[in-house]
Amino acid sequence: MTFIHRVEIIITNKKGVKDPEGETIHKHLILRKGYNVVHNVRTGKYLLLTVSASSEEEAVNIVKEMCEKLRIYNPVVHDIEVRIRG
Amino acid sequence: MPLSLEEVEEIRRILGREPTEEELAMFEAQWSEHCSYKSSKLLLKLLPSEGRHVVVGPGRDAPAVKVFKDWVVVFKIESHNHPSAVDPYNGAATGIGGIVRDILSLGAKPIALLDMLYLGNPRNPHANWLIRGIVRGISDYGNRIGIPTVAGDTWFDNAFNSQPLVNVACIGIAKPDKVVLTTPEPGDLIIIMGNSTGRDGLLGSSFASKPLAEDVDRDIGAVQVGDPLTEKLLIDVIQILIEKGVVKYIKDLGGGGLTTAVCETAADHNLGAVIYLEKLHTRQSLTPLELLVSESQERMLLVVNPENIESVARVLDEYDVMYSVIGFFTDDGIIKVFYNGVKVAEVPAKELAKPRPLRRASTPPLEVLKGLKPLYNLPPEPNYEESIVKVLTSLNIVSKRWIYEQYDHEVGIRTVVKPGYGDAAVLRLLDGSRRGIAVKGDANPRYTYLDPFNGAANAVAECFRNLVAVGSKPIAIVDELNAGNPEKPEHFWYFEMMVKGIAWIAEELKLPVVGGKVSFYNEDHRGKQVKPTATIVGIGRVDDITKAMTMDFKENGSYIAIVGVTYPELGGSEYLFRIFGLEEGEIPRPRPSSELRNGKFVYKAISLGYVNAVHDISIGGLATALIEMAVKGKIGFEVDIAKVFARGIQRLDEILFSETQARYILEVKGEYLEDLLKLADRLGVKVSIIGRTRDRNSVVFTKNSTVLVNLDLSYLSDIYDKTLEEEIEGGV
Repeated sequence: MTFIHRVEIIITNKKGVKDPEGETIHKHLILRKGYNVVHNVRTGKYLLLTVSASSEEEAVNIVKEMCEKLRIYNPVVHDIEVRIRG
Repeated sequence: MPLSLEEVEEIRRILGREPTEEELAMFEAQWSEHCSYKSSKLLLKLLPSEGRHVVVGPGRDAPAVKVFKDWVVVFKIESHNHPSAVDPYNGAATGIGGIVRDILSLGAKPIALLDMLYLGNPRNPHANWLIRGIVRGISDYGNRIGIPTVAGDTWFDNAFNSQPLVNVACIGIAKPDKVVLTTPEPGDLIIIMGNSTGRDGLLGSSFASKPLAEDVDRDIGAVQVGDPLTEKLLIDVIQILIEKGVVKYIKDLGGGGLTTAVCETAADHNLGAVIYLEKLHTRQSLTPLELLVSESQERMLLVVNPENIESVARVLDEYDVMYSVIGFFTDDGIIKVFYNGVKVAEVPAKELAKPRPLRRASTPPLEVLKGLKPLYNLPPEPNYEESIVKVLTSLNIVSKRWIYEQYDHEVGIRTVVKPGYGDAAVLRLLDGSRRGIAVKGDANPRYTYLDPFNGAANAVAECFRNLVAVGSKPIAIVDELNAGNPEKPEHFWYFEMMVKGIAWIAEELKLPVVGGKVSFYNEDHRGKQVKPTATIVGIGRVDDITKAMTMDFKENGSYIAIVGVTYPELGGSEYLFRIFGLEEGEIPRPRPSSELRNGKFVYKAISLGYVNAVHDISIGGLATALIEMAVKGKIGFEVDIAKVFARGIQRLDEILFSETQARYILEVKGEYLEDLLKLADRLGVKVSIIGRTRDRNSVVFTKNSTVLVNLDLSYLSDIYDKTLEEEIEGGV
């Protein structure tokens, strides 16, 4: 029996890797408009998939494997988070 | 590459004591191949670099050439092979960033980019991923900084599946009196402007100076992320600072980071420097060692007289460019580095900047015998029509539209001859005159693999022909030598022969090699070197851009002329590889005196208005070049290959596909045929009239009156245009 699951993928630069887009949004928009309480901005890519699978766990595993195989991210540079959308 | 024991010993001798940790890191960064050229320096001296056009030769971040009385062109080539193998998107993007900053360092305005890509087989999943990432990285960065990518060269080969070659070039223009050529003096302030320094790219040039590891994940520190927004700001503020005349000297912080930028500037001008590291603006908290060798992108060094510091600061503040005044130059030749009042390094600038050159061992491997083997027992000639189609659809020949359509090639409205339509790109100066410049990049990895000396010479010759074919006068070239591991004599030999080949033909063609770059350690984790490749970028002068020539056939009934003599030279050809799967044989001979003679003739024929279209004959031979002209002009032709002036031909495929150098195809206007032949006679050039263009949808090759080939032009156009996209999008 398969169900439809909604699975999210979030790809960001690894912690030690620079994020120029986030820095630009932070410095040239947020701080300039006076939101000094914001200390840091990191950007990334978000994908939302609907997947047929027998369980949530299986859906996540399918998506994880797909990300590896299709090189949806670069493991050298990116962190990836795959999770069920609640 | 970590320092060798001998090098550490040498450092002890220079300092007269044990080096500090920071000093060792500085030496490791600066003495890497990437920064110091220690293995290549002696051989590079063979290259002729002088000439009446040369304003700045090798040695600075970029050379400058006086192309017109009132304009200099600053241009340079760079490789980003290793970063692109690990992170194709950012690796290729930061390559563009680096080459643009080299051009900025002379105060020139960057106007065009070229990319020369030697990539793997798109049907290999890893190579396919690299190809997409590299092309997207270049296009995203180039498009965002608003500099068009106007020309390039592409090659696909299994040899580059895990280690691609990403060579990029940038062209800038400047007024001769605005090129930054003044000398830093003691007391001048050192400013670092642009991005804040972070841990990214730590010892990256040291990373590029060793073979690719199988597990590259650990090299995370060497990954750099491009920031085109900051780069664009740097481009803009430098134009303003130059205009105001308030900076004396500019240098890019590239490989080796702060250490290289400071010690090279000091050493080149017999200076020392005092640096206060804590003043550098940073992204995160860093140790003094990290501050010295971080290779964070989009940073530049400015040298400013103290009395101009306020006006420099005003410009940088106004544009929101971060900067820090980190120290000043001294007259004692010593670089002293302080961190919060503690001295962390004290090294003589010259000894740090210029390690002792090495004469590496050099031995030809047995494999080179392949390139010495005459071809005498080839399989029988297959059907000519099938061969033509197969060669035309080689990825090294088909339209590269899939690549260049991702690039913005029209920003700045400078481009007169666009990608795909001319043998070189032609750019307007945009100064109200009709003057312009032509640019092109070339290489043939198969040639240099089979015969590095002649292969590298042929790359120079092809660049020369491409520049002539658009109606320009070739002025100067820069070279990028992509080689294997210099510590292996059988790799180093290829490098040595490529340098010697370029040096020889550049002298013969009177084309100064005004600058260049060397990339070693292009080998995979098993220690196998990629095909050694000599990439040449040349510039030419165009006096009247309205006469710039393209390769597409223009009218029905005009004459088709072959310039030059055809020899049976199928060794190393695209035909041999595509049809018989062979990569062997003597490659075509370089023919410098024919190049000069035939080049002069073609240049004259263009400026006298005798011709409608010009195309040089290179890979794929005569048959391929003719079909390219027909496909681009949507006009067919009928030619008789018995009329091609050739020597020693034994089979017809030798006429159709030989890659003999120094040849061009011209589409000659009917009314000028006699004049053209007279001109050829006067200059002693062999020209054969082999047929005419026909406004029919077919391309026809005959031998006397026998039809050998009759192919549908729309069919050829279709496969020429679509093959690359299909291979990349659908191949895996």
